[in-house]
Amino acid sequence: MSFSFARRPQAQAAIALAGAGCVLATGIGSAALWEAACAGRSGIGPLQAKHFRSRRIAAFGHVGEAEQEHCRAALPAHLLRYAPPPVAWGLAAVRQALAEAGLEPQASGLRFGLYTSQGGYTHPSLDAYAELLHECRAGNELDARRLAARVLQERALDPFLVLKSLSNGLLGIVSLAYKLEGPCGAYMQGVAGNHAALREACAALRERRIDAAIVVAAGSELDALALADLARAGVIAADGATDFRPFDRAGRGGIAGEGAAALVLRRQADLAAPEAVCLTELHAQAQLRGLASAQGGCELLIASGWARPEADRRLAGSLARFAPRHIGNSQALTGILSGAPSLADLVLARQALQAQRVPGIAGLQEPVSPDLPFARASRDAPLRQAQVLNVEGNGFAACYRLERLPAPAHSTNRITL
Amino acid sequence: MNPPRIVITGLGAVTGFGFEWQGLWSDMLRGRHCIRPWQPEGVSEGSFPVRYAAPVDWQRLPAYLRSHPALAGELERRTRFGWLAASQALADSRLGYAHWRDVAVLAASGAPQHSLDDMQLAFADGETAPSWKSVMRHAASVRGDASLRQSSDRLARVIADELGSAGPVMNASSACAGAAQAIGNAFHMLRRGECELALAGGADSVLNLDTLGALYLLGAASTETRRGEALCRPFDAGRSGLVAGEGGGFLMLETLEHALARGAKPYAEILGYGSSLDGYRLTAPEPEGRGASEAMAAALDDAGIAPERVDLVNAHGTSTPLNDRAETLAIKRVFARDQHYRQLSVAANKSQFGHLIAAAGAPELLVSALCCREDWVTPTLNLDEPDPDCDLDYTAHKARHRRVDIALSNSFGFGGLNTALVLGKYRSDAS
Repeated sequence: MSFSFARRPQAQAAIALAGAGCVLATGIGSAALWEAACAGRSGIGPLQAKHFRSRRIAAFGHVGEAEQEHCRAALPAHLLRYAPPPVAWGLAAVRQALAEAGLEPQASGLRFGLYTSQGGYTHPSLDAYAELLHECRAGNELDARRLAARVLQERALDPFLVLKSLSNGLLGIVSLAYKLEGPCGAYMQGVAGNHAALREACAALRERRIDAAIVVAAGSELDALALADLARAGVIAADGATDFRPFDRAGRGGIAGEGAAALVLRRQADLAAPEAVCLTELHAQAQLRGLASAQGGCELLIASGWARPEADRRLAGSLARFAPRHIGNSQALTGILSGAPSLADLVLARQALQAQRVPGIAGLQEPVSPDLPFARASRDAPLRQAQVLNVEGNGFAACYRLERLPAPAHSTNRITL
Repeated sequence: MNPPRIVITGLGAVTGFGFEWQGLWSDMLRGRHCIRPWQPEGVSEGSFPVRYAAPVDWQRLPAYLRSHPALAGELERRTRFGWLAASQALADSRLGYAHWRDVAVLAASGAPQHSLDDMQLAFADGETAPSWKSVMRHAASVRGDASLRQSSDRLARVIADELGSAGPVMNASSACAGAAQAIGNAFHMLRRGECELALAGGADSVLNLDTLGALYLLGAASTETRRGEALCRPFDAGRSGLVAGEGGGFLMLETLEHALARGAKPYAEILGYGSSLDGYRLTAPEPEGRGASEAMAAALDDAGIAPERVDLVNAHGTSTPLNDRAETLAIKRVFARDQHYRQLSVAANKSQFGHLIAAAGAPELLVSALCCREDWVTPTLNLDEPDPDCDLDYTAHKARHRRVDIALSNSFGFGGLNTALVLGKYRSDAS
């Protein structure tokens, strides 16, 4: 089912992306992501896993140690024990997005909604369990009570293991950090989770149940069995590939990444800015082929790819239906994100619209389809609109349309930031 | 233009009472429960501190469900329960195959179930940092019906795949409010015109060592033994913690126009949904119930229903000391005008089929819908000595026949998330 704001005359309130933030392999902040994109500098590096070693899975889009420490240090002390790394990244991304939007929830007098999506990191983590499993072994058996006591009473491990960090831990931590009490929603996993969070946030704004929405997603698949399953499913390369080259004939498969991204959404009519980047459509389908092609073409399409030439060639056929002038990609910079795939792409697309510049696809040398305008290098270009197209291994696909819109002439209820 | 009316046209539930909602309803009206002595697999008898739960009994599986695809293949218990419940709701709705593609799927499925044996597999060679080859070899041995090889949105996916659903497909993940959020989101999507049909609900099973161990260590699960099977006693002075159940519930929701056009018979009408955050603590409710009352007020506002019109509150009622007191205060705050809280019936379904955690909101909404249709209120069991702080009419011990035009169903979750749904008796002449 597609959902186009434009199809519903009574609901045409444009939703502005008033602020953005991210913590990704490219560093902290949307500016870091944008700089990496413009320079074609990928954040993907050698895989560093504490509890397994591999030459076949050789690379990963890690959030750097310094960034990890920065995010953790910024957590309120009373929330530390409940916040595994992805949650800490998510909170940091929210903080950036709010700052960029010029909002402080408690001081703004606005009604906030909070909508979150978590990646697969609530799965049991071998990394987190491994040491205790060894420690709590009694011969060939496991002393389960001791294990449970060590995990929860003594906080012996990554607090990930506190009820798997709660399946809505991100929602809980962000709401506590900002004392949010408004409407909310928490969703799980990837493209579908991001879409659900954005969809509900936009609806709550349009129905005027809230004045500002925080949408945040986070996750990590840095876990032996999670990576094993991704490799088995063909989502990531298992042949020692060290770079991720979506849409390139030399692509050898995907590389997983981790991180968080956040957006602050507002009704454009409530903003004082003469122009804003607005989310004007969002569509989702269980299958890519069901997505409606964009009306009026597409100036910039930020699209996810497989880095498997045959699969990317087939995907290119779907991209062609959007009639894009330029095609970009963020995964080559960050790795495949389980938590915030769509939000990271939206952050990048927003940056492109603001900078009037098309980001090149990092590492792209020989596109799988010479007929399509894959951006090999960054360059200036007039951009009024951009689209984001996400396709996931389970078949779920989503599409978003961003436009630079002038403030509506009839705008009322404006708030000067 | 008025928004479309949204009705419930199909019900499905899997609980300790069995695999059909009809049995659940009749057992509940008879004042029965399905809480039993229970211990997790993999521990010696009597060594686990939590002794009672409301498990699903596979012996009760009807013959006609024995060939259901949910029972084949590698799936977690929660996914099997949810898929069976969703199939029931689909069948109950009598929706023709031609419409299946148009059904949105919104599910909640809570924390993954996993096996510690599986967790150890990757380290079976005694290596502290096993090789990739070792990981892959052991990964292939991991039980497919445990979560190491299951994604958190698996339930939503299998239902969507069975239907051939074109979407939207959503996986809510909001702890004990999960299924209520999924249903609330489905209701809003239908009302906004984003779809005409939605199968919404959830399934969960925490009846495994690590998840229930975690609930125990957090102080949420009761470890008392002297109450026996009467351990779950919401609002009673002797309550001591939640008693976990397992299972799932799904409801077919659709616009009234769509339902009538295909000759479906509504069970009840969904009128409103509200959510709120406590912003207080991650694992405890705000003690005055402010967040809970915000959610109830938001749902009533969404429904355009004055509090004075509500007849029944199907409470979250977990039998934990903190929740039941806070929820009572919240109800009193929302229904304060003319002390309407004195006119309300309150029921706590968890006293009968335990706490289904992420799924809880679905069978409880199903029960609320039947209360509206049948004008019965299900009982709160084991309420022998009401807590002085809990002084509402909780329908103690026995079901009560009373008119139920409007019901409100609460679900609150760890993480400080609160939800409420407002239901109304279906009336063909209502506007």
